[in-house]
Amino acid sequence: MAVLSTPRSAVQLASKGTPVREHLFRTLLIASLVVAFIFMVALLSYVFVEGWPRLDSRLWENMPSIRNPDIAGAQSAITGTLWVISLTGLFTLPTGIAAAIYLEEYADKTRWYNRVIELNIQNLAGIPSIVYGILGLGIIARTLGLGFSVITASLTLGLLVLPIVIIASREALRAVPPSIREGSLALGATQWQTISRQVLPASIPGIATGSILALSRAIGEAAPLLMLGAVSFIRFNPDGIFASYTVLPIQIFNWISQSREGFHVLAAAAIVVLLVILLLMNSVAIWLRNRYQKRW
Amino acid sequence: MPNVTVRGPEAPRTIESLDPVFTVKNLSVFYGDYEAVRGVDMLIGNREITAMIGPSGCGKSTVLRCFNRMNDLIPGARPAGTIQYHGEDLYGDHVDPIEVRRRIGMVFQKPNPFPKSIYDNIAYGPKVNGVKGKMDDIVEEALTKAALWDEVKGKLKQNALSLSGGQQQRLCIARAIAVKPEVILMDEPCSALDPIATTKIEDLMQELAHDYTIVIVTHNMQQAARVSHRTAFFTAEVDDAGVRHGRLVEFDETSRIFTNPSDKRTEDYITGRFG
Ligand SMILES: Nc1ncnc2c1ncn2[C@@H]1O[C@H](COP(=O)(O)OP(=O)(O)O)[C@@H](O)[C@H]1O
Ligand SMILES: [Mg+2]
Repeated sequence: MAVLSTPRSAVQLASKGTPVREHLFRTLLIASLVVAFIFMVALLSYVFVEGWPRLDSRLWENMPSIRNPDIAGAQSAITGTLWVISLTGLFTLPTGIAAAIYLEEYADKTRWYNRVIELNIQNLAGIPSIVYGILGLGIIARTLGLGFSVITASLTLGLLVLPIVIIASREALRAVPPSIREGSLALGATQWQTISRQVLPASIPGIATGSILALSRAIGEAAPLLMLGAVSFIRFNPDGIFASYTVLPIQIFNWISQSREGFHVLAAAAIVVLLVILLLMNSVAIWLRNRYQKRW
Repeated sequence: MPNVTVRGPEAPRTIESLDPVFTVKNLSVFYGDYEAVRGVDMLIGNREITAMIGPSGCGKSTVLRCFNRMNDLIPGARPAGTIQYHGEDLYGDHVDPIEVRRRIGMVFQKPNPFPKSIYDNIAYGPKVNGVKGKMDDIVEEALTKAALWDEVKGKLKQNALSLSGGQQQRLCIARAIAVKPEVILMDEPCSALDPIATTKIEDLMQELAHDYTIVIVTHNMQQAARVSHRTAFFTAEVDDAGVRHGRLVEFDETSRIFTNPSDKRTEDYITGRFG
C-alpha cells in the first residue's frame, strides 16, 4: 500500500497528468495558426513568383495600357493610391480620434443621444463597403458636386473606415488608467490639459495601430471606388484633389479581366507593390508604437 | 484602556481658538440617491494634521474628496450642507473647481506617477498652471521638500515608474507640493507601502505640517496616533429604513481620542473590539 504511506500533502501536489482536453485544445489553437500562416505564405509566394518577370522599373515609370502588356505600367494607379490614402488619413484620423475623445472623455453615458451614437458606430462598422460607394455617389459626387475625383474617393473611404478608427481609438483611450487622469486633475489641470498632455500621448501606440489597420483596409478597397469613377482609363497622375484618378486595386482588377497572359503577370506585380505600400504603413505603426510605448 | 500609544504631536491650540482652513457643517454626500455620508461637522485646523479613521466603507474617502472637489468628477456625486474654505463656500456658484484643486493638492492610495521622467512629473503641475520661473529650481525645491532630492538628483531624466513604491509616493507628494498648495489631502497614502517606506512618509508629513495643512485618511490607527494633531472617527450606521450611512462619531484632539474617547464606539474601535 504505497499510496497510503505517502504523506498527504505529497499526494495532493502530485501531477495528475495533463488531461486529454488540454492537449486537444492546444493542438486546435496551433492548427488554426498554421492554417492562417500557410495561406499567407502561399498567397505571397504565388503573387511574387507570378509577378516576378514584371517587377522592374517599368511598373512605376510607365502609364497603364491595354494594348501592350510589355510597356504598360501602374504609375497613375500608384500615385492615385498615394493621393487617395493620404487624403483619407488626413480626413478620417483627426475626425475619428476627436470622436473617440468625445465619447470616452466627455460624453455623459446616461444621455440617450450618446447611447444612440455609440450603437450606430458599432453598426456602421458592419455595413458593406458598396453601400458607402452608393452614399459617396449620391451625396459627395452628385449633391456636393465633387464629381469623380480624388477628394470624393477619399471622403468616401474616410467614412468607410471612420468607425474602425473610432473604435480602436476608444480602446486605446480606455486603456489609460483612471489614476493618471485623477493625478493630473488633482494638480489643477483642466480636463483638456489632462487629455492632451497625459491621456492622448499615453494612448498613441494603440491609436496608431488602429489607424494603420483602418487605412490598410481603405487602401485595398475596390468596391466603393468602382462606383466613383476610378474605373475610367487614366494615363496621367492626379494633379490635385479634384483630379480624376485610379487606384491600385482597380488597376489590378482591370488587368486581371484582360484575356492576355502578360496582363496577369502585370497584375501580380502590381499586387506586390500594393503589399509593399501596406508593409511600409505597418512599419510606421510599429515605429510609433515602440517610440511611445508606456508601461504602468 | 486603549492599547495604542500616542507619541504624536500635541494639538497646538484648542478647537475654539482654531483658525480653521475648512469648516464643515452638516455635510452629507450622495451618490445618486444613496446618501453615503450623513451630517458631518468638523473643522480642519491651519497647519495641523487631521486624521480620518474608521472601518472601510464609512465614507472617509468620500468626505476627503469633497475638500478638493474631486467628487465633481464622479457622475451623480453631490454634496449637501456646507464646506467653507477660509469662510468661503467651496461649492459656491462662482468657485472654479480647477482653482480649488490647485490650492488643495491630493495624494492617492496607490502611487500614480505619470509615465514620464521624474523631472516632467514635477514640472507638469507648475506648467499647466502657467507658473513662471526657473523650472529647474521649482523641481529641486519640490523634491527637496519631499525628501527625495538626494535619491533622485542624478537621474531626473529617468522614467518615474522605475522608482520604488515608496519613492513613487514621495514623488507624488513632491508633485503636489510643486504647485504650491495650501492643503495636501492624502487618501491612505501608505497602504500600498512597506513599513520602512511608511515611516519615511510619516516623517515627511510631520515635516510638511510646518508649512501645509494636511488631511490624511488612514485605516492604520497607530499611524493616526503617531502623526496627527486631531482625529475624526467615522463609522457606518444603519438607519431606520435599513440603509447604511457613514457618520462622524467623534472629532477631537488625537491624544484625547486615543486615551479618553467620549464615545463608546470610538473606544471599541481603537481597542480593537470592533471594525
Ligand atoms: N463612486 C461611487 N459611486 C457610488 N457609491 C460610492 C462611490 N464611491 C464610494 N461609494 C460608496 O460610498 C460609501 C463610502 O465609501 P468610501 O468613501 O470609499 O469609504 P472609505 O473611504 O471610508 O472606505 C461606500 O458605501 C461606497 O460603496
Ligand atoms: Mg477610502
